[in-house]
Amino acid sequence: MCDGEERPNASRRLANRLSAPSGPAILGVPVLLWQVVFFAAPLIFLVVITFWQVKSFRLEPAFVTDNWTRVFSSTSFERALWNTLQLSLITTVLAVVLAFPAAYTIALRLSPRMRDLAIAALVVPIFSSYLLRIYAWQLVLSPEGLVNSLWTWAGGQVLPLLGGGLSLQIGLLTLTLPLAVIVLVLALSSVEKSQLEAAENLGCTRFQVICHVLLPSIRPGLVLAATTAFLLAFGDYVSPVFMTGSNPPTLSILVVDTVKSGSQWPRASVIGVSMLLLLTTIFLLARLVPTGPSRKRWRS
Amino acid sequence: MKNRPASMAAYLLQRIYLLLLFVFLATPMLIILVFSFDRNRFPSIPWGGFSLAWHQAIWTDSLVVDALWNSVLIAIGTAIISTALGFVAAYVDYRYRFRGQGLFVGLIAMPPAVPASILGMAMLAFLSRIGYSGRIDTIIACHVALATSFSMAIIRLRLGEIGSELEQAAWNLGASRFRAIVSVVVPFCRQSLIASFFLAAAISFDEFMIAWFVGGVHETISVRILNLLQGQVNPKINAIGTVVLLVSVVLVVVAQRFTRLHPPSGQLY
Repeated sequence: MCDGEERPNASRRLANRLSAPSGPAILGVPVLLWQVVFFAAPLIFLVVITFWQVKSFRLEPAFVTDNWTRVFSSTSFERALWNTLQLSLITTVLAVVLAFPAAYTIALRLSPRMRDLAIAALVVPIFSSYLLRIYAWQLVLSPEGLVNSLWTWAGGQVLPLLGGGLSLQIGLLTLTLPLAVIVLVLALSSVEKSQLEAAENLGCTRFQVICHVLLPSIRPGLVLAATTAFLLAFGDYVSPVFMTGSNPPTLSILVVDTVKSGSQWPRASVIGVSMLLLLTTIFLLARLVPTGPSRKRWRS
Repeated sequence: MKNRPASMAAYLLQRIYLLLLFVFLATPMLIILVFSFDRNRFPSIPWGGFSLAWHQAIWTDSLVVDALWNSVLIAIGTAIISTALGFVAAYVDYRYRFRGQGLFVGLIAMPPAVPASILGMAMLAFLSRIGYSGRIDTIIACHVALATSFSMAIIRLRLGEIGSELEQAAWNLGASRFRAIVSVVVPFCRQSLIASFFLAAAISFDEFMIAWFVGGVHETISVRILNLLQGQVNPKINAIGTVVLLVSVVLVVVAQRFTRLHPPSGQLY
């Protein structure tokens, strides 16, 4: 019954080790090490160098709080911080508000086949060159671009579409909208239809059903969609650079510029670590949001 | 219900809104595709006429060809390692209960949640300090740290469907833990392993921020595009973009073909 005879020795030895209680330790070690070296250690090191010094263009170990005080007292940091917070909050609201009606239709009004097709179509842009799609929006919105060449051909003056809040939000929605829709579709798909039917049978209008039954029961999904949109917009580098020409700068632009145009690693790290602290705070706050009357888990 | 005029209007509005959303998402991709075949140097309306000049031009540009080759190499390396590490991580999370499990999973799942500009800067700072930056395999290593999160998620989802009795049956029939993994668990997960491979390749192929920071002189095709965009308007970008989009879309579509990134239809109600 046992096929132990056929098994080569090496694999049996490995097998014995795997059945030992230390199984997870041995199996999990390579992947754990990889994430420690290439993910955790860099982030920890980032925190460490916020206290280091730059001497004659070289980064040297030290323990000074100078970098923190300098960055936090600089007006360029303060302005970039408020600008980044403002634009990512606007994107968050727009993404969730614009995504909800689409997600509602996809999750509750389309046939299962069409729903799967719609989700598949939403996944593609998430993983295919965001950079190129922003470049395409430049072609559409620039003064010599597609919209303006049509508009001036029709007799209009050149519209300053590129370089303002509108173009920036178009860029950031390109990034955030597909993901927000998918998160909400998954949340809405797990709402029990019997609940909605019960509400309708009790005489609720469609609007009442959405406000009093649907929205409360997908609250975790709404929070997830919002935090994801905020995270993406807050950390994005591409849209602020190419849609507004880095004016006004965001924190990501400040980070990249500080690193690329000089050796001010400690100050760039201070900005980066501050961004991570802020994002962590927002995620922790989001977890405090009550999950609503019907605690349904959705699959993600 | 659908016969009522109000419902009919709602039906139409919902469909039109959804259509507009997809037009918004598809427009940028279509513009790249269409204007890569435009004779004009600067994309504008009216179209300058059909031309393959830009598509031919990119294959004689050694910077572009080298970058494309780098990207292919890095994407394949990332796909293989991420899928292997992602499988092991998913299996360990599925099979064992141990102290620090949350931390273990979190360490693998978290990287995509960190803004790429910060992650890239941190990786460069640390890896250059330990003398491991500016190489092709540095980019692979960093892309793996990012993509394993997705591999683990896809494979873990599949492992959740396996049912504990399948592996136990293998053990009862005398298979060792290792043998059970190789002969029972891996075949059961085959579809999700393929999906993970293609998705990780797509993520790597598409990633530019980390590759830009840690790659040194080695440019991936996405970094090449970023550098082109920061310079003068270059009509080659559309042609490069068409190739890159085609590769990305094919990778993602194939990945989706082998997985369900969404709840099973019909099972919920």
